[in-house]
Amino acid sequence: MDFWLHVLNMIGLFAILGLSLNLLLGYAGLVSMAHAAFFGVGAYATALTARDLGLPFPLTMVAAIVFTTILAGVVTFPALRVRGEYLILLTLAFQMVIYGLMLSWVDLTAGRTGISAIPRPRLLGVTLVTPAQFLPLVLACAAGVFTIAYRIGESPLGRILKAVRDDEAATLAIGKSVLHYKVLVFCVSGGLAAVAAALFAHYQAFINPFSFNLDRSIFLVALVVLGGTANPLGTVVGAIVFVGLPELLRFLQARQDIVDAIRSLVFGLLLVLFMRFRPEGFVPEHARGFGWAGATPAGASGAIPDLTGSSEVAADAPDPALSARNLRKRFGGITAADDLSLALPRGKVTALVGPNGAGKTTVFNLLTGFLIPDGGTVELGGTDVTRRAPWRTVRLGLARSFQDVRLFERMTVLDNVLAAIPDQPGERLGPLFFAPRRAAEAERRNREKALGYLAFVGLADRAGEVASSLAFGEQKLVALARLIATEADVLLLDEPASGVDLHWIRRILDLIRRLVASGKTVCIVEHNLEVVTAVADHAYFMEAGRIIAEGRPDELMADRRLAEIYFGTVRR
Amino acid sequence: MLALAAQLAANGLITGSLYALLGVSWGLIFATTRIFHFAHALTLTVAVYAAVVAVDRWGVGLPAGFVLAAAVGCLFGLATERVVYRPLRRVDATQLNIFLASLGLLIAGESAILIAFGPQARELPGFPISGIALGPVAFTTTEGLWLLASWALLLLLIGWLWWTRYGRAIRAVASNRELAQCVGIDPERISLLVFAVGSALVGVAGTLLALRDTASPTIGVQPVLAAFIAVFLGGIGSVLGAVLGGLILGLAENMGALVLPGHWQGVIAFVVLFLVLIFRPSGLLGVRTR
Repeated sequence: MDFWLHVLNMIGLFAILGLSLNLLLGYAGLVSMAHAAFFGVGAYATALTARDLGLPFPLTMVAAIVFTTILAGVVTFPALRVRGEYLILLTLAFQMVIYGLMLSWVDLTAGRTGISAIPRPRLLGVTLVTPAQFLPLVLACAAGVFTIAYRIGESPLGRILKAVRDDEAATLAIGKSVLHYKVLVFCVSGGLAAVAAALFAHYQAFINPFSFNLDRSIFLVALVVLGGTANPLGTVVGAIVFVGLPELLRFLQARQDIVDAIRSLVFGLLLVLFMRFRPEGFVPEHARGFGWAGATPAGASGAIPDLTGSSEVAADAPDPALSARNLRKRFGGITAADDLSLALPRGKVTALVGPNGAGKTTVFNLLTGFLIPDGGTVELGGTDVTRRAPWRTVRLGLARSFQDVRLFERMTVLDNVLAAIPDQPGERLGPLFFAPRRAAEAERRNREKALGYLAFVGLADRAGEVASSLAFGEQKLVALARLIATEADVLLLDEPASGVDLHWIRRILDLIRRLVASGKTVCIVEHNLEVVTAVADHAYFMEAGRIIAEGRPDELMADRRLAEIYFGTVRR
Repeated sequence: MLALAAQLAANGLITGSLYALLGVSWGLIFATTRIFHFAHALTLTVAVYAAVVAVDRWGVGLPAGFVLAAAVGCLFGLATERVVYRPLRRVDATQLNIFLASLGLLIAGESAILIAFGPQARELPGFPISGIALGPVAFTTTEGLWLLASWALLLLLIGWLWWTRYGRAIRAVASNRELAQCVGIDPERISLLVFAVGSALVGVAGTLLALRDTASPTIGVQPVLAAFIAVFLGGIGSVLGAVLGGLILGLAENMGALVLPGHWQGVIAFVVLFLVLIFRPSGLLGVRTR
């Protein structure tokens, strides 16, 4: 009996570890091969504060959480800039260093011998020793961590983490600081792992480095992925299946090392087969567990939002809305922007035209902070935004779209738009946990707003679908709705009509006109000259990083010299 | 003190040469296919066990054992690419998923070997081990063989990559997959080729290792971690970089003993990797790409 209670306890501990890792790996898409290291650091912190400082139980857990959270925050900094295989390797290196320290820093950790005689916790007058006595505590902690993980994952905060996972540049472009959320999720993930660590240390009353090695980290990553990333239920299922079921092998009556090997063999093969045939894991991301209202809005009641919110101030707002002076940017020997100056008159459509490679997209990147210019200034309504981070520029009212759309592909259409709405209380841990009513209220309002933006572009009925399942033209419209949702009043559209057929072009042109009518200032980069003539009030003609002409679009089109540059018929 | 430093430097160069070979064998695959091929460790283990079984059980000579290890490694690598990775590419698996499949293969393979051969270490007999003294430094004949074999293979490989058609095709795919495709190089064939060559090399490198350290089901992981470090230290896509990275790693691990107690040796490698990834993510000889 005790044995099966022990198995239950281990399932609980692994569920906590998996849930904490899922926030990092499943939601934010940050692969960490160092979760066992954080687990270990928490366990040692618990063991040492309990044995050497004599702290009582809940305090040892608090100490472990604080210490691990801080360590996670510090370690994050080198990990902020890297992704993919670099992050795998960086966290792997961290795992190995921590593991090596556990083995080698004998004065502190007693090396291979490990730390024994960790005091048993006392709760409500009972000293917890047996698995049965621990079970309520473990289950309570697991339930608590599940609630936290679920709350974060299914909140506006979880939405931004998924946005970071799907596309970092696009996350910046909707005005969210990728850096901030990465640090946050590393810290939360580390802190929650320490909950399991503290329980583990007290439960075993003995720890040594071998519980916290690379194999354990790999196991945790696999558990989360097989269970189902970005779904806390999946992790619980994963813990039950991969920690609980293998214990049934004990009935084989074989030697322990053979039993372990059979377990690993099956586990490894499952990992290979799942990646091929069911990469989403047991419980996929969009499966809902509690019969909550699904992502599909009932009745799409969203009225078309008041896009004119900013136009009330338009009367006394500075004009031009945006002006750039003498922008310069060189890449090696190539001059991408050469003494560029332009202004976007408020409430008008301005176009940037020119042949391929003229530097039009570079201009957008320079204006919005995605590239730092070598010289020159960008002013947004009188505020200098030249060297601001892209997400800050968006918050100040200047947002851009991408030529290659860059939706958050694994998120729903509605979530794509919702993510872009600024100042959501549910994006911060404080309101999320301590003012849940305010967060829920804001979320309800924002949903209405987002549905309104979708209705504006004519896609309200697709709100519940996963973004990548939409046709390219529809994706462009979602990207436009997302751009509007940033509530910026200067919008830079990078080739809004490229790659879509005439039907979509008409629709997009109509939307641009309506945006301008509601007080937005728009700048488009566009190859389709008919689009430019149809919608733009003013155009700049670029070639080789310089503006060589400006004027009304039809005037520019009539200029033979420009037409030759544009169509490349000129013989030199 | 100076004699100690010389000895440690010699040890560093010896292990560093083997790391260089390991690094090149993995880096060739990684740079060309972008697969984070963790199961390279399994290829090594399988090849070593093939050599051990042939030499120890069937009484085959050691040179034949090396040839067998190379052949088995090569075939196992090819099978991995065909049976595991290619189907994953076909369904557009993410890099993370391919990496996880690789891990799964490694875990399953190590367990299978443990079930088949037991957990105990197995010796690879047949090599006359004695000491060689060369001025202030001393090493064993095994280590001498490491040095000779590693450099012979490295030079052969570099020559092949530089002066043959297939070698140039590999370097083309490694530097720009799309562009290489445009000039008529079939990346699928090149993938097979690098898996064949890289896996054969790691089979030989593993067997060299087993001469000194004996074979066990988990023999593969540590050398392949060293290979990762050598590659990222030197710069992805650069053969010379991986060689340099391997040598630096070997030297750092051994020379570290001058200032740190011996049991810290395992940490040094990863501290080096950590620092490189932070301060020079493109590696020492790598091309900085965005």
